[in-house]
Amino acid sequence: MSHKLVMRPLCAAIASAVIIGLPAVATANEPELSQSEVLSGLENPWDMAFLPDGTMFYTERCLGLSVRLPDGEVEHLLGMEGTDDYATTADDLVCEGQAGMNGVAIDPDFEENRTVYVYSASNMSEPRTNRVLRMTVNSDFNDVSDRTDIVEDIPYKPAATDHPFGDAGAHNGGRIRFSPEDGYLYVTTGDNHNSEIPQSPELLGGKVLRIDRDGEAAEGNKPPEGFDPRIYTYGHRNVQGITFHPTTGQPIVTEHGPWHSDEINALVNGGNSGWDPKPNMAGRGDCPDDYCGYEPNQTEGMDPKERAAYMPVTDTETYPDAMQPAWKNDGLSQGISSAEFLVGEQWGDWDGRLVVGFMGIGFGGTPVGQRINLIDIAEDGLSVNDVAEMPVPMGAARFRSLVLGPEGDLYTAVDEGSIYRITPE
Amino acid sequence: MKVSLLFVIATALTMGSATLQAVDKSAGEALYKDACAQCHGPNAQGMASFPSLSGRDAEYITSRLETYRAGEKVGSNSFLMIPNATGLSDDDIANLAAFITESAE
Repeated sequence: MSHKLVMRPLCAAIASAVIIGLPAVATANEPELSQSEVLSGLENPWDMAFLPDGTMFYTERCLGLSVRLPDGEVEHLLGMEGTDDYATTADDLVCEGQAGMNGVAIDPDFEENRTVYVYSASNMSEPRTNRVLRMTVNSDFNDVSDRTDIVEDIPYKPAATDHPFGDAGAHNGGRIRFSPEDGYLYVTTGDNHNSEIPQSPELLGGKVLRIDRDGEAAEGNKPPEGFDPRIYTYGHRNVQGITFHPTTGQPIVTEHGPWHSDEINALVNGGNSGWDPKPNMAGRGDCPDDYCGYEPNQTEGMDPKERAAYMPVTDTETYPDAMQPAWKNDGLSQGISSAEFLVGEQWGDWDGRLVVGFMGIGFGGTPVGQRINLIDIAEDGLSVNDVAEMPVPMGAARFRSLVLGPEGDLYTAVDEGSIYRITPE
Repeated sequence: MKVSLLFVIATALTMGSATLQAVDKSAGEALYKDACAQCHGPNAQGMASFPSLSGRDAEYITSRLETYRAGEKVGSNSFLMIPNATGLSDDDIANLAAFITESAE
């Protein structure tokens, strides 16, 4: 599916109407967008979560968890190693390579229990792991306590390897979201550039976990026999976006591709997403540091189609029952990140559209593609009807996180260091 | 021999001229915005997997770009930097180094 401009020239619309014999009446109800910069000067803002009154928790990847109150005041709650202006500092929370503090989620019963969750890298255990932390926010919103690590064993890449972006700390996933449908916490993880991880029944990388608020497996998870019961889906590469269809509750994820084929997938309980970058299988030989994820040529440009044929993100030949992507970004990899649904009449024709952020990356002549896409995805999440680019006022940026605010506006965190509020007019 | 001597003199004069030519920071800024800012950030502050250039002097920037231009690997982002640096001229590198060292936050 090719991209198209959302705002078409009026003359083209009239001409089309004449050609097909319809009255030249504009039927599109697409909102104009305005923006305001909610926060600036941040350091790699990664995720946000809102209370109904507009209170916004947010993470910065190498600093920690903060909260912006409705009056605009900011309180720094949980700092990572090396920070000194946070109410509480946890020296085990570390930042390295792509790793650090990532997703944040608010407990559905926050009004009663004042509980929030974050996903972060930690050196509390050796080797390091990624963890899901649960903690309590005090009544003044200026400190946290009662930290409990409800998941302690999400793998972390411990050392550099011979791969693009091959430093330690790569491919962590890191988005966490409560499903409004079933109330469970979904946790997305990454493959760490380790070919054994995505299809491993025990290792929690390259997975989507579904857990309760204590970190126990959700009732009804159906991973294959012998798998860790917390696993909801497996065979993923690096999932950095997850959201839920506003009417069906269907969980939908975004997954980074390796120089080709960013994916949007509707998750099937117990399903395999088909990523298996092991060497000496599926027609491949040896690969650098036993990980074929960027093969057959990881240092020079080549046709993404050739790459996809050699190292598919969804390997349906090896795994015929693998979940099929609804969309593959026209075969390109451009740093697909966060996903969210627009909900509300204020969005006009875009009410119900899936919005997806791209941080942008080009390699060997492929387009960088920094943007937010508006995607008309089928209710079952298995296909898309239309893809357009959102005409955002701020222009191109590394769109890391997209979250709908309580008033129905769209908030986006960009790696450049800002959080914007996008309002439909 | 006369032709060769003239060539040597002309080359020497050209090199001298290039050495004396002032760097063009505005050209460096334009090049930075076009080719570098998407990863290193609008103020060269670094983003995500891409390092900050803040505090780096012109000698460092020049040395790294010349290394990448020569196709030599330095670090895990070499696969991106080598093709980006391949087409840079000496002037481009000097202009970029001047802009980055002055502008990086």
